[in-house]
Amino acid sequence: MPFVPKKQVFNAHINEVVLGVGDKATAIGGQNVLPFHTFDAEIKNAPKIGAELTDLGMAEYVMPGEKAFYEGCQTVADMAKRAETLEGVSFLCLHFEGADPNGANKSVDECVKLAKEVSDATSLPLVVMGCKNIEKDTELFNKIAEALAGKNILVLSARDENYKTVGASAGLAYNQKVGAESAVDINLAKQLNTVMTQLGVNAQSIVMNIGSAAAGYGYEYVASTLDRVKDAALKQADTMLQMPIMTPVSSDTWGVKEAVMSEAEMPEWGSQEERGVEMEVATAAAVLAGGSDAVILRHPESIRTIHKMIQALM
Amino acid sequence: MAVKGLDIFKLSPKKNCKECGSPTCMAFCMKVAQGAVPITKCPYMSQEAISLLSEATAPPMKTIEAGGFKLGGETVMLRHEKTLVSRNRFAVGLCTCMDDAAVDAKLAEMKSVDYERIGEREYVEFVFVHDAGDGARLTELCKKAAATERCVIIDTENVDNAKAAVEAIRNSKPILNGANKDNYAAMSEVATAAGLVLGVRGSDLSELHDTVTALEAAGNKNLVLDVTGATAKETFANAVQVRRAALKDNDRTFGYPSIVNLARICSGDVHLQTALAAVFTLKYGSIIVMDTIRNAEALPLYGLRQNIYTDPQKPMKVAPGIYPINGAGPDDPCALTVVFDLTSFLVSGVLERCKVPFNLLITDASGMSVLTAWAAGKFSSSSIKKFMDEFDVANKINNRCLILPGKVAVMKGEVQDKLPDWNVVIGTREAVELVKYLRDGEHLKAAEAAAAAKKPAGEKKETVNADAPLDFAKIEASIPEIKVVDMGVSYKQRDPESPKFVTIGERIHCISPVIREAMNTMNPEPILKRAAEQIQAGATYLDVNIGPAESNGPELMTWVVKLLQENFNNVPLALDTANKKAIEAGIRVYNRTNGKPIINSADAGSRISNIDLAAANDAIVIALCSADGIAKDNEERMMHCHHMLERGLSLGMEATDLWFDPLFLVVKGMQDKQMDVLNAIKMFADEGLKSTGGLSNNSNGAPKNIRPILDSSLVAMAMMQGLTSAIVNPNDQRLMETIKSCDIFKNHVLYSDSYLDE
Repeated sequence: MPFVPKKQVFNAHINEVVLGVGDKATAIGGQNVLPFHTFDAEIKNAPKIGAELTDLGMAEYVMPGEKAFYEGCQTVADMAKRAETLEGVSFLCLHFEGADPNGANKSVDECVKLAKEVSDATSLPLVVMGCKNIEKDTELFNKIAEALAGKNILVLSARDENYKTVGASAGLAYNQKVGAESAVDINLAKQLNTVMTQLGVNAQSIVMNIGSAAAGYGYEYVASTLDRVKDAALKQADTMLQMPIMTPVSSDTWGVKEAVMSEAEMPEWGSQEERGVEMEVATAAAVLAGGSDAVILRHPESIRTIHKMIQALM
Repeated sequence: MAVKGLDIFKLSPKKNCKECGSPTCMAFCMKVAQGAVPITKCPYMSQEAISLLSEATAPPMKTIEAGGFKLGGETVMLRHEKTLVSRNRFAVGLCTCMDDAAVDAKLAEMKSVDYERIGEREYVEFVFVHDAGDGARLTELCKKAAATERCVIIDTENVDNAKAAVEAIRNSKPILNGANKDNYAAMSEVATAAGLVLGVRGSDLSELHDTVTALEAAGNKNLVLDVTGATAKETFANAVQVRRAALKDNDRTFGYPSIVNLARICSGDVHLQTALAAVFTLKYGSIIVMDTIRNAEALPLYGLRQNIYTDPQKPMKVAPGIYPINGAGPDDPCALTVVFDLTSFLVSGVLERCKVPFNLLITDASGMSVLTAWAAGKFSSSSIKKFMDEFDVANKINNRCLILPGKVAVMKGEVQDKLPDWNVVIGTREAVELVKYLRDGEHLKAAEAAAAAKKPAGEKKETVNADAPLDFAKIEASIPEIKVVDMGVSYKQRDPESPKFVTIGERIHCISPVIREAMNTMNPEPILKRAAEQIQAGATYLDVNIGPAESNGPELMTWVVKLLQENFNNVPLALDTANKKAIEAGIRVYNRTNGKPIINSADAGSRISNIDLAAANDAIVIALCSADGIAKDNEERMMHCHHMLERGLSLGMEATDLWFDPLFLVVKGMQDKQMDVLNAIKMFADEGLKSTGGLSNNSNGAPKNIRPILDSSLVAMAMMQGLTSAIVNPNDQRLMETIKSCDIFKNHVLYSDSYLDE
């Protein structure tokens, strides 16, 4: 008797959200099956990869593979052009680490200028990530959303504390896409989407960042939140959880000890760069298998690998 | 396939003899279908019916054992649905096409992965030996692989090669992987003769299904399914569909663990292999075979696996002890934390990032977070002192700087008194803030200040002898005079025998900064204010949590009891502290007009002696049905319950003076355990026992406006089950109205249209 697998196709689907403008605009979401379940139904858009660029520039890229890839770049805009040449990169994520008042504390004007330079240098869609300081990020997002009006960028992200301001400026006034960031909890994720739409932000303009963790560092919470959000969105057709998910992976994985300890400190662990890449790759693969529609990665080798993996599974 | 009661009934003797204990055969069959009674309780059921039924009620996925590991046995697709039980295992791949040097290098590389993470040994558990068509070489490599003391997977479709290899290493119990539609009968014979697990494959799922069916028909059910296809895409589709067929569609033919051979589909791309290994760790690989597993691959993959295969109800734990961070030695300072799923993790991660060498001291606190543990008396100066002695920290570490978590800054004085040789300093409230704190050397400055501030040895406070009997007269004389203040609220007389639901107001708790401050300074006003609010809202009892109160517990409790009872017409109280002397002192001045004092709380573990305290003082005791950890099921809950009941009764207590607490669980994390808790309440009630508990714990973490809805619904269900009391926030109006309404339905109060005003 031939084995006839039952298909698991849902009536509901994940919202399709387009980032950027022109030929290089990219769409995420849109599917009505679980991640990589191509055997259940065709998946509308393959998951997308964004290259993370820190505003602090070349000085922050110390791994030999990163240095080699970005060799000769003087400015962040140069790096953006270089990242654009990397196969599999669908968007750029400009990470304003330097805006942190407890760090380099760059002025908002300086950051806006950089965002414009990068935007002018590349045709790829742009995602703007803040420094996690609520007040600074709020101001930064408002100004960048204004300066890049018409570019259809994504600000990553509005949070419970500042969604009113960020949602009103980026989402309503400047018609950009708005990230909704919550801390690894389905209830908080839904709550934030609900209040943002009540504010008037179009549900179709929201991309969720449900929070993440590196593999081995409480990743079970991430896995179960992703599973439950997809379950709610597809099986229960919960419109307040049907937003596609974007997960910044590199910012978590390059901070754990497996990626931070030098080979001199941990000779038995071998090459630090290899460890960092494998941590980034394993975590990215896990969030994609769990249902993230886009990941943000840093190391060129991780981007190459995850791109290859997506192609292999689609 | 789920069996219906009616189907069983058709096979039953239909004699209605009642020997099984059920009134009719029909009733018996309905119970069997629900799994409530085993079918063997019927003495007249035919053998045919019994075997048919046990087949139908068998678990959907078999548990197969290989190399001392359990594989499969899963009941759910995703971990949040219940829990995943058998973690996936990793294998490194060898091939007969490799030369000796390559094989030796591969095995040496594999052996270099061997470390411990959160109390578990992480290493490559299997070696996969692929036969590229050379039988002699296969046997040779299998012997080499078996010598590494890993479980070997012999990968060949050639029956003769298989026989020879199995013969050579059969004592090490390898897996024989290679049965297909043509050779399955012969391969099955080789495997069963040696008692080995057999791996089955097919060119597609239909062929695999047919081959497994044929093997099962021949009596071999000791199988694993090699679901590797030609591509990664096909392999993923196979792995998902096989698991889904077994668990969702009750197709038991596919109810076996899987082998996913990445070495075959990744063509030497190490990083791609890692990516796919992560995917198959989440989605349905039981044994994942890889070309290369170095520490670079193992660290993220084993960490991921450890996370995914934790029971959602039982978070990962680290063992208590001294953990040197960033190469710390005896001359580096110490930071203290508790065993808690995330805390110790976060702290060690943060400390590693800041690169300052440190000794992390992890103490046991029953899996509670720092603040909860402190409030429950599980993280106190005594427990810290005990830890320091037990682990001989003073002799192992020369540096005398000890950093306490910022959240328990209040303990600093007590800890300093107990550990006079140490310089106790306060760290940050949040782990993330520690990086800056440590880099800036704040702890060193603070330690110097602490050392300088120490009084010369002669002036040290007298140490309190914990075992000395209390001098009640002295205590009463030492507390501030109680003034009766008119708060505009009075406590109504209460009949302690009333069947009405008992609400225990939880708002006088030292975790609240206002109350903590008031208790530290014995300032009556904030405490009276909270008491008045709760009494106004209809609280029956007031809980008084004074924290561990190690230095002045008896004085503090005496003061609070007198303060509240004298101000509010002898309002009955629940005395909530880990300090037994404080409870004794509190009961000494307690007025019983409106009800006995309640001791909050005893458990079946380290706090069981609080039952003795209750017996000695004729008090009610809240008895937590746990022993330093949440009970895993109702069998365990009831075991703890009866253990405590026996102890109480043997000491002369009334059974109704033990109020059993099933421990309400957070619905957000443990949705699937809620009915267990409710059923436990029914079991207490059926035995005529009283029950109580921290009901609002269920809605912890839910949005503020949702909590009253969840709490009030749960209290209604729990009262239906027979709950007689709960520790609640009486200022939650919705909850209190629900309780009053339920008391009406339960006929506990006389009907009156205005019952809500009472």
